Amino acid sequence: MPRMLAFLLAVLLLPISLPSVAMAAPAGTVVGVSGSCFVQSGGQRAPLRVGQPVQVADTVDVPADGKLKLRMTDGTVVSVAAGTQMTISAYVTDAGGQRQDGKLSLAQGLLHAVVSPMGRPASFEVDTAVGTAAVRGTDWFIEALPGSAQVGVLEGSVNLTSAATKRSETVPARWGARLEAGRDPVPARLWAPAEFQAVITRTEVP
Amino acid sequence: MGWGKRYRAGLVAAGAAMLAGLGFSNNALAYSSTGDRLFPATILLPQIAPGDEFYTNVMAMPLTPSGVGTPNYVTNFDEVYAKTITDRLGIFVEETDTRIDQVHAGTLSGWQNFDMSLKYLTILDLPHEFLFTLGLDREFGDTGARRVGASPSGATTPQVFFGKGLGDLDIGYLRPLAVTGFAGYSAADSRPRPDLAVGGLTVQYSIPYLESKVESFDLPDFIRGLTPMTEFIFSTPTGKSFGERTTALFGPGVSYAGEGWELAIEALVPASRATGRGVGVTAQLHISLDFLAPDTIGKPLFSSP
Repeated sequence: MPRMLAFLLAVLLLPISLPSVAMAAPAGTVVGVSGSCFVQSGGQRAPLRVGQPVQVADTVDVPADGKLKLRMTDGTVVSVAAGTQMTISAYVTDAGGQRQDGKLSLAQGLLHAVVSPMGRPASFEVDTAVGTAAVRGTDWFIEALPGSAQVGVLEGSVNLTSAATKRSETVPARWGARLEAGRDPVPARLWAPAEFQAVITRTEVP
Repeated sequence: MGWGKRYRAGLVAAGAAMLAGLGFSNNALAYSSTGDRLFPATILLPQIAPGDEFYTNVMAMPLTPSGVGTPNYVTNFDEVYAKTITDRLGIFVEETDTRIDQVHAGTLSGWQNFDMSLKYLTILDLPHEFLFTLGLDREFGDTGARRVGASPSGATTPQVFFGKGLGDLDIGYLRPLAVTGFAGYSAADSRPRPDLAVGGLTVQYSIPYLESKVESFDLPDFIRGLTPMTEFIFSTPTGKSFGERTTALFGPGVSYAGEGWELAIEALVPASRATGRGVGVTAQLHISLDFLAPDTIGKPLFSSP
């Protein structure tokens, strides 16, 4: 009898004790691919194609000849430039498609995120090696480089926080800011149109 | 920017007050940037690039009186609104209210001439933290109160501006240093107002740049927002002087940068008796509209993307 109870308890607690069940939740869908792009999912590496879902914990790898566009489950569109590695660390939406939490991890490369606005505060963050960018309802870019990261904002605002010093810099629309490893964020400044155009071009998927 | 206007204020009291004009803030530098370099708002020198901003400052300075009824103290309240037309072209409008205390003769007050200027950002070299701007200032004659020195004659001043950060050089803890400056030639519409050669320099040391680009020290938050700087400005008549003399002023001080605003305070140290007779003070609040209202009044009238 005790063994039976233990078995039942184990069955009941299985979903709680296995985070991978939640981690495998669908996070978005590929809506555009240029060149050869790959996904690392559950230890398997496979090419990406239009219409294919991506899951939480997947890592997308966009090589130098590729570009990728994802539509996340809340409607957020993430365009990924060539030479980028990005992991979907968390992506939770409710039954109505409202984002509860969104977290991407950018190892290297450039993202353009058009974040779907929510009716209430809902986090959308991108982690890099040197810091975190947190946004709410905005159109923006983030690029992770060796030892630094930079953010450019077209609409809305982004809060760029140093992983080392925990100090933040607010970046409003048409502004950008950089962050170097181990230091405070560089004070934000207006970006020239040419600077925005450069990152737009790099993330546009034909 | 109202160089001529400021000088007109000085003409009221002949040489002494002329210098008062020198210290009157016009087109203070605000949030101009190139690369990772932000040039904070200056008070004495004009802005070196177009922007969307509003700033107001007050300046108080003792003058050199020459007898009863002559000015011995001047106070100016200056307001400037700047608007970008395109990303590189901007317009500035400025009004200055002047109060002049006279020796045993009460106080005079009134507006200076209305002033307007255009600036075009010609060179923006991000990696080298360098920018260069062309400007044209117009002071409209007879639009202010003559009792405080507003001239019946206007003046037109072509100008050049520059800003250079030293962050691209391998000089360690000196990388937060930056230099800005301007030069201009104020051509009067009519006599007896003299033509003037004007110019100035600032030297700045940015603590935010030190913390974010050089080395992160564990400094208090307040210190992290400071930029100590010293300004120097001068003017000298060219051709017939009509009693004007060369004036020069130093402005050592400090600027504190918040998110979308700056507060600066400087001492005013005259370099000659023609400039003033003692140390004055000036303070400025600068509001960066392009930061606080980037989608409305803070963006250029015509811009991309």
